[in-house]
Amino acid sequence: MAPLEDLERDYPIIDSNFRMFCASHGIFTDTDFLLHDLSALEAFARQDYAPDKLEQGIKQMISIIESGQRPWLNGVELLEDSQLNKCTLSTGCEGIDILLQGGLREGHVTELVGPSCSARNSLGKVVYFDTGNSFSPKRVAQFLSLLSDPSATQTNKAVERDMSSIVCHSVFDIFTLLDMLRQLMNNLRSQISFQVRMLIIDSLSSLIAPVLGGGGAHGHALMATAGFLLKEIAHESNLCVVVTNHMVAGEAGMLKPALGESWKSIPHVRLLLSGKYSATGTRITILKHPYLASGKSADFVVL
Amino acid sequence: MTSAFSWIAADETAEQALVRIYKKRPFLIFPPPFHRLPLRAGNVVEIVGPSPSAKTLILIQAAINCILPKEWKGVSYGGLERAVLFIDLDCRFDVSSISRALQRRIIDANGLRRSSLKGNGNEYDKELFVSSMRRFLYTRCYNSFEFLATLKTLHHRIQQEKGGSAVYMLLIDSIGAFYWMDRALPTSSTGNNNNRKSLSLQTVVETVVQEIQRLLVAHPMLVLATKSAAFGDKQSITEVIRKRPDEKMPDPRDAQNKPHRCFMPSVWQSFVSHRMLLRALDGESKHQNRPTFSTEWLLPPLNCSDHFTVNDGCLLIPK
Repeated sequence: MAPLEDLERDYPIIDSNFRMFCASHGIFTDTDFLLHDLSALEAFARQDYAPDKLEQGIKQMISIIESGQRPWLNGVELLEDSQLNKCTLSTGCEGIDILLQGGLREGHVTELVGPSCSARNSLGKVVYFDTGNSFSPKRVAQFLSLLSDPSATQTNKAVERDMSSIVCHSVFDIFTLLDMLRQLMNNLRSQISFQVRMLIIDSLSSLIAPVLGGGGAHGHALMATAGFLLKEIAHESNLCVVVTNHMVAGEAGMLKPALGESWKSIPHVRLLLSGKYSATGTRITILKHPYLASGKSADFVVL
Repeated sequence: MTSAFSWIAADETAEQALVRIYKKRPFLIFPPPFHRLPLRAGNVVEIVGPSPSAKTLILIQAAINCILPKEWKGVSYGGLERAVLFIDLDCRFDVSSISRALQRRIIDANGLRRSSLKGNGNEYDKELFVSSMRRFLYTRCYNSFEFLATLKTLHHRIQQEKGGSAVYMLLIDSIGAFYWMDRALPTSSTGNNNNRKSLSLQTVVETVVQEIQRLLVAHPMLVLATKSAAFGDKQSITEVIRKRPDEKMPDPRDAQNKPHRCFMPSVWQSFVSHRMLLRALDGESKHQNRPTFSTEWLLPPLNCSDHFTVNDGCLLIPK
């Protein structure tokens, strides 16, 4: 929401005369310009005493808006981008990979829902936003050592290297989360930080659930803002974003995922984990996916 | 004198006008689920349903029907061979869904048997696929202002596409995507000085409707918009209804009982010319493990509903 004065530096046609004309119609920032009827504005400009300069100013504003936009892509370009940039990351568990046709996809926001004590925390690596102090380095090291080749003598060093590629941050409220996400987006855009492949937010619901509810719209707005930020990060920087959610009581005593109806339309993929955290295996079911049928499930065992 | 009379002279008769309109903007019957009502350019169709229902899938099927040609190398596809514009406001679109559906459609129309999508099911006309995919134009917006900016510059973009006569459909995925963020927009605290338009959901939606109306005048298109809906009454979080085991629990998604609540401002509701409602059905198809949905036209209200199932990204109409 930039005021029009800031644009004068780069575009001298937006001079004080033009700004006064805009102010007389109630336009002070570029968002005001978007809300206004442009053809009516042009008609007013033509009746002014200096019509040419004003019309040029309006055209300049339109071209500024156009240049700040994302380009339109056609289907072929979309496919190319998808094949080049958005590969699938394996979850480390064969059953889940087969179910998801390769694994977790970059560019998608995947939600894992399950009652507590299911296997939610056992999948995943790299940037980890921990909201409940449940991240345990020992557990991750144990997991990694099981995955790597047990006969290798360099196991310790490999585990260390893998552990150092995981960056863990503790986040305890939604505003810090939004702040860190914006910072991450800026870093990724300017490519300051290392190559991030995956972002995990353990228990996004524990950050959002306290602000939902009540009569105001701010809780839902924060949830929607966080959701769109995650989607933007996932798509523009080709990351795989994984968030976790818990279950709450629904109608007739059945469990349903938390965060309500408005959250349902935010993640790309929703996976439900059910069953006790036991040796007999946990079941993972697809609740929602862009192109796989929902209802498919697979079993896996957590070691 | 002659110039004054020419002002009130008739341009054309009503018959000529009707013939001209039906030729320029013909009524078309689209494949299911739109088969009950003819639609034409200038109509605004809203597809309402809870999440998840197959709303985006319906948009994709409509897009495929539009981008395929009528006939290609002797095989009839029944398409319109026109471009579609897809504005993704939900930002969840995956191009694999449309590419798979298009491949399946081309293969089915050619009558080739396909055993699986990979492997030997791959013999389809790649040239046709590429030329059709080129007619699918896509952009995404992460907030309302990007959406407004896209709409304002759309006229110019359509002109670039083969002189502007080629685009037939405008698909908007989830018109209500920014509803909560717009409701929480900061309104100006200094009051209504200098007749400045206050930032609010109302002004944003009014501008969106205005821009789309202006676009439709210049480029007549069919507009399909999806919207996610909430059904029934909000249930309090602390209230858990306990039922005795023998008492029959009324199906919370019972079609006749709970009307859907429309949350968009009235300026959008009056802009919409057709409205279709989707509901998920439980029950008889559970053993097949395929979700079933029912569609019903709310505007204009028809008293019948159709059913369809989703099979791996494809709509099937069994009943």
